[in-house]
Amino acid sequence: MNPLYHVGRYSQLMYRCFSKPQRVGVFFSQTLKEIDRLGVSSLFITLIVSLFMGAVLTIQTQNNIENPLLPDYTVGLVTRDTLLLEFCSMVLCLFLAGNIGSNIASQIGTMRISEQIDAMDIMGVNSANYIILPKIVAVVLYIPVLVVFSMFAGMLGGYLIAAFTDIITTSKFIYGLQYWFIEWYVYYSLIKAAVFAFIIASVSAYWGYFVRGGTLEVGKASTRAVVTCSVLILLADVVLTQILLL
Amino acid sequence: MIEVRDVCKSFVANELVLKHISTTFHSGKINQIIGRSGSGKTVLLKCIVGLHTLDSGDILYDGRSFTSMSKKEKMQLCSEIGMLFQGSALFDSLTITENVLFPMQMFSEKSEKEQQDRARFCLERVGLYNVFDMYPAELSGGMQKRAAIARAISLNPKYLFCDEPNSGLDPLTASKIDELIVELTKEFQMTTIINTHDLNSVLSVGEHIVFIHKGEKAWEGPKEKLFVSNCPELDDFIFASEMYQKFRTTLVSEQSGQI
Ligand SMILES: Nc1ncnc2c1ncn2[C@@H]1O[C@H](COP(=O)(O)OP(=O)(O)OP(=O)(O)O)[C@@H](O)[C@H]1O
Ligand SMILES: [Mg+2]
Repeated sequence: MNPLYHVGRYSQLMYRCFSKPQRVGVFFSQTLKEIDRLGVSSLFITLIVSLFMGAVLTIQTQNNIENPLLPDYTVGLVTRDTLLLEFCSMVLCLFLAGNIGSNIASQIGTMRISEQIDAMDIMGVNSANYIILPKIVAVVLYIPVLVVFSMFAGMLGGYLIAAFTDIITTSKFIYGLQYWFIEWYVYYSLIKAAVFAFIIASVSAYWGYFVRGGTLEVGKASTRAVVTCSVLILLADVVLTQILLL
Repeated sequence: MIEVRDVCKSFVANELVLKHISTTFHSGKINQIIGRSGSGKTVLLKCIVGLHTLDSGDILYDGRSFTSMSKKEKMQLCSEIGMLFQGSALFDSLTITENVLFPMQMFSEKSEKEQQDRARFCLERVGLYNVFDMYPAELSGGMQKRAAIARAISLNPKYLFCDEPNSGLDPLTASKIDELIVELTKEFQMTTIINTHDLNSVLSVGEHIVFIHKGEKAWEGPKEKLFVSNCPELDDFIFASEMYQKFRTTLVSEQSGQI
């Protein structure tokens, strides 16, 4: 369908969503509930994914630089920078788009088809604001925290490879991890994560909010949400890298 | 009192789902909209409460025109409306008590204690006990309907709308829900509009009946005139089942016997 149509409808939805909550107290408790709901399940998947990412990165890097001119600690350094620059924000968010995004889309879609959203509208509650804003705030606050965990877990994954295989010694790996550390990379990663989080929450909510029809449509909406989020995340990644790193 | 004035509604161009409907619903009475499946009952109800925008025509709530209301007046009106949806539409992430509390939390200035008391009162009023902390999914269909009624009346609405309040319920539960709606209507002098295609409910609680056929108002009148309407579509609707056909034959023979 016409992309401009979706852009327009999305903007309108966001406009309604970002108004002042009718009851600030209710908004805060909703946001806390959302964070609680995201909580443990996404932390678990983040840790697992990051551990393996770090491990694989270490092995791959070691495999690819069999050059005697490069110092041994290069493996640690490259692993760290790759994790910080791309993996812990972009790759992780692609994962979370599948996890959190489809969850948000199907949850809101179900509310739509079971007329819960209509019920709110009739009561005079701004449904976009009540349902979507807490989700966006929760996800934008929570995903950067996950990214920090992911950074540590990724490096731990690399360390475990160093410890349990003879590819590289742990001391060299740790030296590499610490060598020429650029602090900005961490902030860069966190900024990206926050933007990606906004994309995940708002775009998934958009697809869920405008579901028409039955349960079949909810399934479609959640697929669409994941696909759109993934594409937009990659697009935003290019743009943000241009702006923030160059 | 709600006046519907020449309302038209279409979803696809040139295909009117509602065709020039005009009628009046009085307060303190059970008004029923009846008609076959797909005739446009739900659409009409959603047009009246403002969930669908009208193509043309107007709705007057006690003289207040819906189409020319400001945003603030609409909000005010929303707080006077209670609606029961075809599928209950309880918020499934909230418990039953929280569901009933929801409209009050958003709009009422009462203290938390008073709100809690009011929620209790409403739930007990519809005959729900011991389910306060359960989630909607843990309740039976009839209990969900009653919880939805409790939520609809929590802010003391002036207008109550029910979309098929007794579909999918056993006859006893269905008639209990009907009775409940009647009691509440009389008690609070609400303007109540019920969508239904259940003749039992029409005959037992209906007072003012509007019959919709293919998007047009085919007949309107008090319940007593239902069987002598001289409206062929309405006769088809009512006497579709064998039981009512028999009923008609006895009715006719009784009348001819009287003569
Ligand atoms: N959102 C919509 N978009 C397009 N068409 C719709 C929409 N809602 C209803 N319609 C159409 O309007 C007509 C009337 O539907 P409506 O839901 O009012 O029927 P109903 O009388 O409530 O039937 P039932 O008794 O089965 O609930 C149907 O032909 C339906 O296809
Ligand atoms: Mg209907």
